[in-house]
Amino acid sequence: MRVAFELNGTPQYLDVDPGEPLVALLRRLGMKSVKEGCDTGDCGACTVLLDGRAVRSCLMVAPQVQGRKVTTVEALGTVDDPHPLQRAFLDAGAVQCGFCTPGMVLVAYELLGRNDDPTPDEVREAIAGNLCRCTGYVKIVDAVLLAARWKREGRWR
Amino acid sequence: MRLQGVRRFHLARDVEEALSLLSAYDGRGALLAGGVDLLRVPGREVEGLIDITRMGLAFVDGAGGRLRVGATTTLTEVLESPDTAHYAGGVLAEVLRAVAVPPLRNMATLGGAVVSAHPWADLPTALVALGAEARWVGDTEGRGSVEELYQGEFRGLFRKAVLTEIRFPPWEGAFAYEKVGRSATDIALLNACCGLGMDDGTIAWARVAVGARPERGERLPWAEEALVGQKAGPALWAEVGRLVESKVEVGDDRRAGGTWRRHTAGVLVARALARAAEKAAG
Ligand SMILES: Cc1cc2nc3c(=O)[nH]c(=O)nc-3n(C[C@H](O)[C@H](O)[C@H](O)COP(=O)(O)OP(=O)(O)OC[C@H]3O[C@@H](n4cnc5c(N)ncnc54)[C@H](O)[C@@H]3O)c2cc1C
Ligand code: FES
Ligand code: FES
Repeated sequence: MRVAFELNGTPQYLDVDPGEPLVALLRRLGMKSVKEGCDTGDCGACTVLLDGRAVRSCLMVAPQVQGRKVTTVEALGTVDDPHPLQRAFLDAGAVQCGFCTPGMVLVAYELLGRNDDPTPDEVREAIAGNLCRCTGYVKIVDAVLLAARWKREGRWR
Repeated sequence: MRLQGVRRFHLARDVEEALSLLSAYDGRGALLAGGVDLLRVPGREVEGLIDITRMGLAFVDGAGGRLRVGATTTLTEVLESPDTAHYAGGVLAEVLRAVAVPPLRNMATLGGAVVSAHPWADLPTALVALGAEARWVGDTEGRGSVEELYQGEFRGLFRKAVLTEIRFPPWEGAFAYEKVGRSATDIALLNACCGLGMDDGTIAWARVAVGARPERGERLPWAEEALVGQKAGPALWAEVGRLVESKVEVGDDRRAGGTWRRHTAGVLVARALARAAEKAAG
């Protein structure tokens, strides 16, 4: 079947299998930041933004995005020109193996879109559904708080 | 995603279309709301997915002290609505904050939570305590209290009907919700939802429900009777907590033992009563 949606600002109109998981479609389209960890909604590695809200792409089929906007980390920044939020993750030492990082960045991006002065507990609540097996979370919370400060200072895009 | 065998996907425009598709698939189709449950079930074969999230059933309306919520409203939308904050001492916001994590609440719908009705889930206990009413459309239009639905064959009903709305009655008083899990985002090992109305320091009405026993949330009418007409205060909460501990029906499962559940039920009910009373007074 055909589905039309917007991926990182670019309109898409393509053939999908009606039961194709959204995570599989996005990876097929080259969005390799979207990881499949658990496939049951528990780990958050497959997180994407749907109309600005963080969702689990492993618990969706591709046609559910018909007419909607999907954002992955690829839309935020590049290796040469990282988004301030990505820069904050680097500066705070919040990235080790990196498998959880795209999901962490997206839930943080959603949080900061609503609240650019979160408390540490609000950050913890926002990232609570995203598992990280490396960092111990402390540096991730630091990174989001640093990014929030930059956002309040206007160092954002 | 674990669901197998999907051959077709439909975005239903309205309830009539969803129902006619459901009947055309004759048991091989499924209504898809947030998909958090449906798409996760391993091994289930569904030929036709019928997406019901674009039929105008996402709304929260708190006019007149009651609350009406459309079945496909996401848990986040319910949680963020100012009407939810004002209803029955803000208890639904307490319950919803205890459900999973924000990205899952962005997907899962209230209707999906009512129909999936996991025995360990948070919402069924609160819906039963609050006297919520479900409205649906199948061969005919129907309505009934969630409490009664859960005592009957509701799963069969919602294979042939679309749940359209959940209505919460007005309460002069307040409710509170308590949950224990192994972590802040775990499912409940036990949960309790209690509500109180007060008249000059005396309990005018009371609602007590305990869930994840491991059975689904149920009201404890004898605990409610023990409260009505009594003087509100810590001594009463402790006494009713002991009563719950002695009489509540609990069991063992792989997550917790019955002895622990029995004791904890008394503790959670006492805590919920104390908080509900505080809110009702304030
Ligand atoms: C990782 C994870 C953690 C979770 N943690 C919690 C928790 O802590 N507490 C808790 O209470 N719950 C928890 N849940 C369960 C979750 O909240 C519910 O299962 C969810 O609300 C289901 O809603 P949905 O819209 O996604 O339903 P769906 O998956 O879309 O549907 C579920 C079922 O209901 C049917 N259905 C849906 N809407 C309707 C309708 N309007 N009319 C008729 N039938 C309908 C579907 O056909 C399907 O059979 C968790 C789930 C996951 C995956
Ligand atoms: S892969 Fe989707 S939540 Fe783990
Ligand atoms: S950095 Fe390795 S899982 Fe988070």
